Amino acid sequence: MRVVSSLINLAFVVLAGGFAAAALVRFSPGFDVDENSWNPRLTASTIEAMHRARQVEAELPKFYLRYLRGALHGDFGASEAYRQPVSELFRERAPVTARLVVFGTAGGLALGALLAWVAVWPRRAFPELIAASASGALLAIPPAVLALAFFFWQAPLSLAVALAVLPRVFGTIRSVLGDLYSSPELLAARARGVGATRIALRYVLRAGLPQWLALAGVALILAFGLAVPIEALCDVPGIGQLAWKAALARDLPVLCALGLIVTFLVASVQSIGEIVGAAR
Amino acid sequence: MIFVRRAAVTALVAITLLGLLAPMIAPYPYNRQFRDFPGAAPSRAFPMGADEIGRDRFSRLVWATRVSVALAPAAALTSVALGLAISALSGFRSRVVRRGVESLTTICLSLPWIFLFLVLRAELPLNTGPAASVALTFGLMGIAGWAWPARVFTAAIAGMIDSGWMLQARAAGVSNLRIAAVYAWPHIRSLAAAQFRVLIPAYILSEASLGLLGLGVPDPLPSWGNLLRDLQQPEVVKANPWVLAPLALLMIAMVSLELLPSRPERAI
Repeated sequence: MRVVSSLINLAFVVLAGGFAAAALVRFSPGFDVDENSWNPRLTASTIEAMHRARQVEAELPKFYLRYLRGALHGDFGASEAYRQPVSELFRERAPVTARLVVFGTAGGLALGALLAWVAVWPRRAFPELIAASASGALLAIPPAVLALAFFFWQAPLSLAVALAVLPRVFGTIRSVLGDLYSSPELLAARARGVGATRIALRYVLRAGLPQWLALAGVALILAFGLAVPIEALCDVPGIGQLAWKAALARDLPVLCALGLIVTFLVASVQSIGEIVGAAR
Repeated sequence: MIFVRRAAVTALVAITLLGLLAPMIAPYPYNRQFRDFPGAAPSRAFPMGADEIGRDRFSRLVWATRVSVALAPAAALTSVALGLAISALSGFRSRVVRRGVESLTTICLSLPWIFLFLVLRAELPLNTGPAASVALTFGLMGIAGWAWPARVFTAAIAGMIDSGWMLQARAAGVSNLRIAAVYAWPHIRSLAAAQFRVLIPAYILSEASLGLLGLGVPDPLPSWGNLLRDLQQPEVVKANPWVLAPLALLMIAMVSLELLPSRPERAI
């Protein structure tokens, strides 16, 4: 029952999120203006046809319903700025962003876990201070500046994403690790002389699996959010750059699809967290 | 640790004073152009050099500190107040209302708010005063950011609904308003203070990122964010490392805010 209710809620939130994103774009200034109207090479009838197409989009509820009908069949419309189907644009750009986001998330979680382990495992104030200071220093750097530095040094941008994700997950990992490392089972295992690797695998990874999964979801969304400024500033041809350019060009079909995807991601992570929490 | 925290408090006080006393400390107004000195190197007249249109970098940094330090707490307060007001609705026993608040929070967390900033920048008339434009930018940040604290408050309120004292208050016929103000608020107060403290650095960082993208505080008014735009030109950074000063100040402020002791620790 809980799963069904979460799925219904997920569907509602995704639909409402997509509509809200479309409304934001529709009512932004300059939406009704198409720069191609001033293109001297276009004939009057072509410009008139473009105006008619724009008029259809101006009626938001109608546009959104038609858009959703198409989306259900895998047709997300055509980008006005790129003159290309949105699904094709996403197919071309998704692997670039996926690499950035997945490696960035994995790296951020791994480095965050390592730093949190340094803070928790030795049970000494000094390593804890060092770990917290390293995380605090990274948190103090705007992610866009970090990405720019990596871009100019020609270092992998996914590492910049990882370093931006790290301090944002460090606190949670440290708190979960702290709870797990002070659990009676783990203390007993340490007293029995069980090795650090076995403890990490059995008592930390397995016992805290729901929390780790929830955290991974949050980190994934965080990394996706970071992709927009990073790709826009560093000229990476991914979904983030597409979102930025689409926002500047008021490209409604692209932004509508992005609204649906981002809302789906966030709402799915929340639903999974709710279901896992209820199951526990 | 006490020494580190004292250093953090000192740094924050120094940065705040720098911002508050900007008119006295800055040698020139932030928008004064010295047209004979575009991109001037650091000198006695321009301690950190001049930017590409001849404005003193030091003066602009001092004024930027005033903007960023004063307005981030205001934006954080707006978010916390909005978050509290909206999450208070989840205190009603109706499941539909609670679900509605949760869904609204999720939608707001997933909306591409960057469009709102684009809209705002496009809507502002060219003759908008610096004070109005900066208040709008931070005001919008405050409004857009209500969902994060609201999620925390909603979870806390959900934990309170079935508590013994809440049931007793309801059974005694205490009104919802009185329950919220007299019984629930003391439980939420420390959480609200913590959220306020967490949001200040978050908004300073957000403004910096928006400034880098050109969506933050508009020129000519300086902020740490729009001063960082020079970092997009590595040749400018190489020629005048003082361009990094806003980043250094921002990092010092962020680290100091992180190191501030929390309320329970202070009580201990």
